[in-house]
Amino acid sequence: MSAGRFVELRDVVPRGIAGSATITSIGAGTTLAELEVDPQIPQVLREACAAAASPQLRAMGTIGGNLLQATRCWYWRLGYPCFLHGGDRCHARTGQQREHAIFGNERCASAHPSDPAAALLALGAILRTDRRELPLADLYRLPTEDDRDLTTLSTGELILELEVPAPRASVYLKAMDRRKWAFPLVGVGAARFVDGVRLGLSGVAPIPWALGGPEELDRATPLPGTAYKVEIARALVRRAVDAV
Amino acid sequence: MARLIRTEKEVEGRYTEQWIVVEEDALERWPEGPLAVVGREAPRTDGLARARGEAVYTADISFPGLLHTAVLRSPHARARVKRLELGAALEAPGVRGAVQPGDVECLTREPGYPGAPVAAIAADSAGLARAALERIEVEWEVLNPLLDPDEAVRRGELTTERRPYARGDLEHGLAEADIVVEAEYRTQTVLHNSMETHQAVCRWQGDTLEVYTSTQFIWGVRNAVAEQLGLPPDRVRVVCEYMGGGFGAKNDPGDYTFLAAELARRTGRPVRCALTRREENLDSGNRNATIQRLRAGARADGTLTALGGEFVASIGASGWLASTAGPMQMLYACENVETLEYGAKLNTAPMAAFRAPGFVEGTFGLECLLDELAAKLDLDPLELRRINYAHADLLDDRAFSSKNLAECYRRAEPHWARREEVRARSAGPWRHGVGLASQIWYGGGGPPSYAWIRVGSDGRATVVTAMQDIGTGSRTAMAQIAAEELGLPLDRVDVVLGDSARGPYASISAGSSTIPSMGPAVRSAAADAGRQILEIAAQRYHLEERVLSLRDGRIVSTDGGSWPLEEVTGLLEEGQILGKGARGPNPAGMRVLTFGVQVAEVAVDVETGEVRVDRIAAIHDVGRVINPLGASSQVEGGIIQGLGHTLSEERLLDPATGGVLTQTLDAYRVPTIADVPEIVTELLDLPDAHLTNLGAKGLGEPPIIPTAAAIANAIRDATGADVRSLPITREEMLRALRQAADRAAARESVGASSA
Ligand SMILES: Cc1cc2nc3c(=O)[nH]c(=O)nc-3n(C[C@H](O)[C@H](O)[C@H](O)COP(=O)(O)OP(=O)(O)OC[C@H]3O[C@@H](n4cnc5c(N)ncnc54)[C@H](O)[C@@H]3O)c2cc1C
Ligand code: SF4
Repeated sequence: MSAGRFVELRDVVPRGIAGSATITSIGAGTTLAELEVDPQIPQVLREACAAAASPQLRAMGTIGGNLLQATRCWYWRLGYPCFLHGGDRCHARTGQQREHAIFGNERCASAHPSDPAAALLALGAILRTDRRELPLADLYRLPTEDDRDLTTLSTGELILELEVPAPRASVYLKAMDRRKWAFPLVGVGAARFVDGVRLGLSGVAPIPWALGGPEELDRATPLPGTAYKVEIARALVRRAVDAV
Repeated sequence: MARLIRTEKEVEGRYTEQWIVVEEDALERWPEGPLAVVGREAPRTDGLARARGEAVYTADISFPGLLHTAVLRSPHARARVKRLELGAALEAPGVRGAVQPGDVECLTREPGYPGAPVAAIAADSAGLARAALERIEVEWEVLNPLLDPDEAVRRGELTTERRPYARGDLEHGLAEADIVVEAEYRTQTVLHNSMETHQAVCRWQGDTLEVYTSTQFIWGVRNAVAEQLGLPPDRVRVVCEYMGGGFGAKNDPGDYTFLAAELARRTGRPVRCALTRREENLDSGNRNATIQRLRAGARADGTLTALGGEFVASIGASGWLASTAGPMQMLYACENVETLEYGAKLNTAPMAAFRAPGFVEGTFGLECLLDELAAKLDLDPLELRRINYAHADLLDDRAFSSKNLAECYRRAEPHWARREEVRARSAGPWRHGVGLASQIWYGGGGPPSYAWIRVGSDGRATVVTAMQDIGTGSRTAMAQIAAEELGLPLDRVDVVLGDSARGPYASISAGSSTIPSMGPAVRSAAADAGRQILEIAAQRYHLEERVLSLRDGRIVSTDGGSWPLEEVTGLLEEGQILGKGARGPNPAGMRVLTFGVQVAEVAVDVETGEVRVDRIAAIHDVGRVINPLGASSQVEGGIIQGLGHTLSEERLLDPATGGVLTQTLDAYRVPTIADVPEIVTELLDLPDAHLTNLGAKGLGEPPIIPTAAAIANAIRDATGADVRSLPITREEMLRALRQAADRAAARESVGASSA
């Protein structure tokens, strides 16, 4: 790893969990390990945290950092001059793509790796930064020709807190290449509220993906190498909806 | 008396003829079964040292003034270096020396795979060396890589001559068959990913080069380094006391040793060259991918009439052609067998031996094919294997030195009989099933291999031999063998190994050969010392030698006399009793092989393609078992590594450039402990009556061989789907399920229209 400058956020970003019956607020500096065991945290988020990474990583990794982690796309990680790096094409679209996206993959086919993000999307979490308040969904954007960013955060903007409404029931299901310590091929978070079930998916689009309902999977745009993810998503969405 | 003989030596299935001098090895055979120390579970004698971090691995070696190396590697699969300027790099802070093409044999201006070394820099720290790499000016002419193995075969781009084999007449055999099955199987490229990366520290001491390296073959490194550097072999000292894994990829010195040696010569300083994890995944060898186009024919009663296969191995830029066809040629008594093997030369990293190279891949193809055949014949897969049991070696009509595969099959029955019960667990999307696969492999070891032993006046023994313990527990096993022969408790035997300057020549630890090569030498050294002790005792106590023996740390006589060993050795004060021993020859004209069978229980989620392996029973015939605890660790390790090969590991290349995309352990997925099934190990522990004074064969490789096929066959049992390509990822599983569903639908529509 190399970087020009490191900034320690530990003392600026709040850490800890505070809750009422209807809403839980989470400091962005709270670790995944803390979230996965706290009874105030809705099941879907606890399960998503527990299914992420390894115990060692979860003991260090914060929820704020997790939401902002970069793609695992191997081309991007290895510095290929691809679209997301400012280049003119997506190498995965014509290359190795088994871990890649089935939605929103026209320009960049990367798959968002965060399990907790899918859970928070299903929960309809609200983010508070040092500048604004926004629904989690608005933290992310698909890259465009002119702006290759995957988030709407400006330079220096800090996520401070998340507010999570309490669902009636919720669950997180994850398909991966081995049983522990792997990024999601497909992750499905489902949360039931009075007005229905909300679904958030990981591993299926360059950003965490809100799914209106199972039928939206018919509109997926998989690559040849990711068609299987649609099949997995169908099964997991059905199971998740059944479970809540 | 020393005898000069010509004998066959086999490593990893490759035979060479050689002259050796053998001593008479007239030791009486030990009885079958657990003895006082041998055959009983012994925790590793070095376990605590390892756990406490006291064990010194190559990665721990440090000297004052030690320099660190960074290697400039080709980012391209095929390229030409048009211009290379080291000037600016040599000026960089902390840089002490550099080498480029022409300086060391392994450095090239025409890299033929991504990661091929082009230049190297030695600096005061690894960070400074890496920073200096950035300052090397290099201009590449990028060339089109050849990545498709079938295309390479079409173009005649081969690393070795194509290898045909035939017995009988395949076409005739197929014509005779009532049922013929035909299928194409594929296995992927997998990476060893040893915990300790490949590395060496080289230091010149006067005109002797010391090489501290993570190696499976101290003497091989010594000889290869001496040869390339033009040194007398004894001017090269090779040290490897502890080692963090090799799995076949550390049989040779490797580029890193030569780079460190040359940089040490140029700088006059000790130099370390250690691969990073990324380099380990680029250029430290691999199990090459294979394509296997197979056919089998059988009569309705299950008798095999024909086995045929075309095998294409993706060797890479260089390497050798491991025998993927071996299992097809050797496992079953089939009269008509034809195989043809190609080694495709590609712009990918060179292959290296990897735990039973060739046979792991070939067994996956053959044993899946056998089950597809069994399904068509409507025969029990275990029965099909029994029907075609080979009673003698069919390659050249040799007798087996011992073969107890039938007994393995018998011991597999209770595991196989769980089928109904396991299948009945199927519920919802989960389908359960059971599959099995047989194992055949080498593992007989051979001479030359030597050991010395000394027994001091304190009645303790020290085995001295310049072998290596590559993490398999050989140190403990050698101590057990010496303890058994000397009638000593295990804690009174030490083993000194790992240094070519401090002990005699010892075998390579590859090809499952450490125990069968080194064990008999250690026993014969201990017996030599034991004889001397009894001679001395006989004189001391005025008894005949033949009434005396060594037991429980004592000298006992048949008339009831019993004296502590130290009482006799203590007479000698500073005197020592020295024994020496050598490995005797292999049984002439016999084939020494290991056998086994594994039974796997799996569950498949047919909606998401998840495969869960619940249980694997491993029954292997490897002759006498020295340490059942160490042996079961080997079986577990082999199966877990096999599990990765079967389900999750694959080196992925960018199809356009040939670049390696899986360079780190988050992208290259080895199994975690959560993936490990229940493993039941059963070793027959039947000494081979013809093989050495121990009757022990090797066990390092056998357990990984049948795992993939056993799992794939269990998947077929559970779901009816034929998985023919490794790894069995979600997409491969779902593809196979879809194909099976389409097949069933087609059958149904045929059935409906004919009804
Ligand atoms: C091997 C491996 C496996 C993993 N597997 C999974 C997995 O299966 N599922 C999963 O979801 N995750 C997985 N992760 C990701 C892991 O959970 C994250 O790395 C971790 O949560 C990041 O937290 P951090 O606090 O270390 O963030 P950092 O790595 O320190 O930060 C990440 C980014 O966010 C920025 N940042 C951090 N905090 C803030 C803030 N409060 N406001 C604004 N910007 C901020 C940083 O500047 C940086 O750009 C894995 C990681 C590894 C290394
Ligand atoms: S998927 Fe995105 S990150 Fe990966 S190569 Fe394509 S553009 Fe780059």
